[in-house]
Amino acid sequence: MEKKSYWNPIFSGFLLGTVLFIAYAVAGQGIGASGAFARTTAQLSYLIDPNFATNAYAGKYLRHGNALGNWIVVELIGTMIGGFISALFAGRVKQSTDKGDGYPISKRLFFAFLGGILVAFATRLARGCTSGQALSGAGGFSVGAWIFMLSAFGAGMLFAPLFRKQWKGL
Amino acid sequence: MDWLFPLFTTGQITSNLNLFIGLFIGIGFGFVLEKAGFGTSKHIATVFYFRNLRVTQTMIAAIVTATTWVVIFSYMGWMDFSKVFIPITYVWPYLVGGIIFGAGMVMSGWCPGTSVVGMVTGKVDAVIFVVGMLVGMLVYFQTYPYFENFANSGNLGRYTIDKLVGGDMFTTSYLVTIILAIGLGVFMHTMKRVVDKKRSLENE
Repeated sequence: MEKKSYWNPIFSGFLLGTVLFIAYAVAGQGIGASGAFARTTAQLSYLIDPNFATNAYAGKYLRHGNALGNWIVVELIGTMIGGFISALFAGRVKQSTDKGDGYPISKRLFFAFLGGILVAFATRLARGCTSGQALSGAGGFSVGAWIFMLSAFGAGMLFAPLFRKQWKGL
Repeated sequence: MDWLFPLFTTGQITSNLNLFIGLFIGIGFGFVLEKAGFGTSKHIATVFYFRNLRVTQTMIAAIVTATTWVVIFSYMGWMDFSKVFIPITYVWPYLVGGIIFGAGMVMSGWCPGTSVVGMVTGKVDAVIFVVGMLVGMLVYFQTYPYFENFANSGNLGRYTIDKLVGGDMFTTSYLVTIILAIGLGVFMHTMKRVVDKKRSLENE
């Protein structure tokens, strides 16, 4: 029942690639996500401590005032709206935690948190994530995008045995 | 004739209009991600066990589609692709960043774009992942001076496939992209068949 309302992956991919192209054609940049997270942390840190504006890395986000005044932030707000609309019509908005059968929820959430830290750190080294680097870069023939993508998927497969229990039966 | 696209970086639309359209581009992005099944960590994590090819198939189709649009529009003279920003290639940071990213992805079942879709549709693990990401950003900001040199090593500039192997966007870049995409697809499909066979033997 639930599975039926997902689109065919090839069809989804065609539309995803077309949305990416529209971003190239209008904004002159691809779609992304991690940059909006970096800007959110930068802005929050600045509100807590104004001296953060001189941070060696994040200072660049604050140079023109509010770190959130950027295309990527607006785009990611749109992503939340679009995702919510789709899930609402498909009847998929409900509180839940995805995990393997019998896996403790506290451990699942711990790994979600730790994974978030690692992923965020990695996106700064890689100048983007699966969207902003892998997809948007590869759509523009970038060699770096393929280095990142193959490295990320390869590492995921390499580390997968460590988390087998967490995803058991899914 | 002047190029028509990209609109913003050639000064044809204002910054505010670009932001306004960006909101709708984001809505389209989020809608497609959710419909593609990227709103749940199980579809992302199980890719690494070759149980579910949804995510990689979608990525491959998206890359083929986007590059095809770029090639058509550039060939017809409707787009100046040099005015489209694509990330600069930093070889070593991307390799190491990819490894850390992959570990984080299989551990959490999320990546940044999908996590915000999960967050607004009620996935508790996505909310926690988002909090983790905000913390991880701060960790990077505060430790950056210690590995600043590494983070900027292997800088090749805007390095497209044709710069590596010769040719241009319409020949080598497009062809190599298609070959890589199909190769990745065939690899995933083959691995899934092997794993499916093994699992059915175990269940007998």
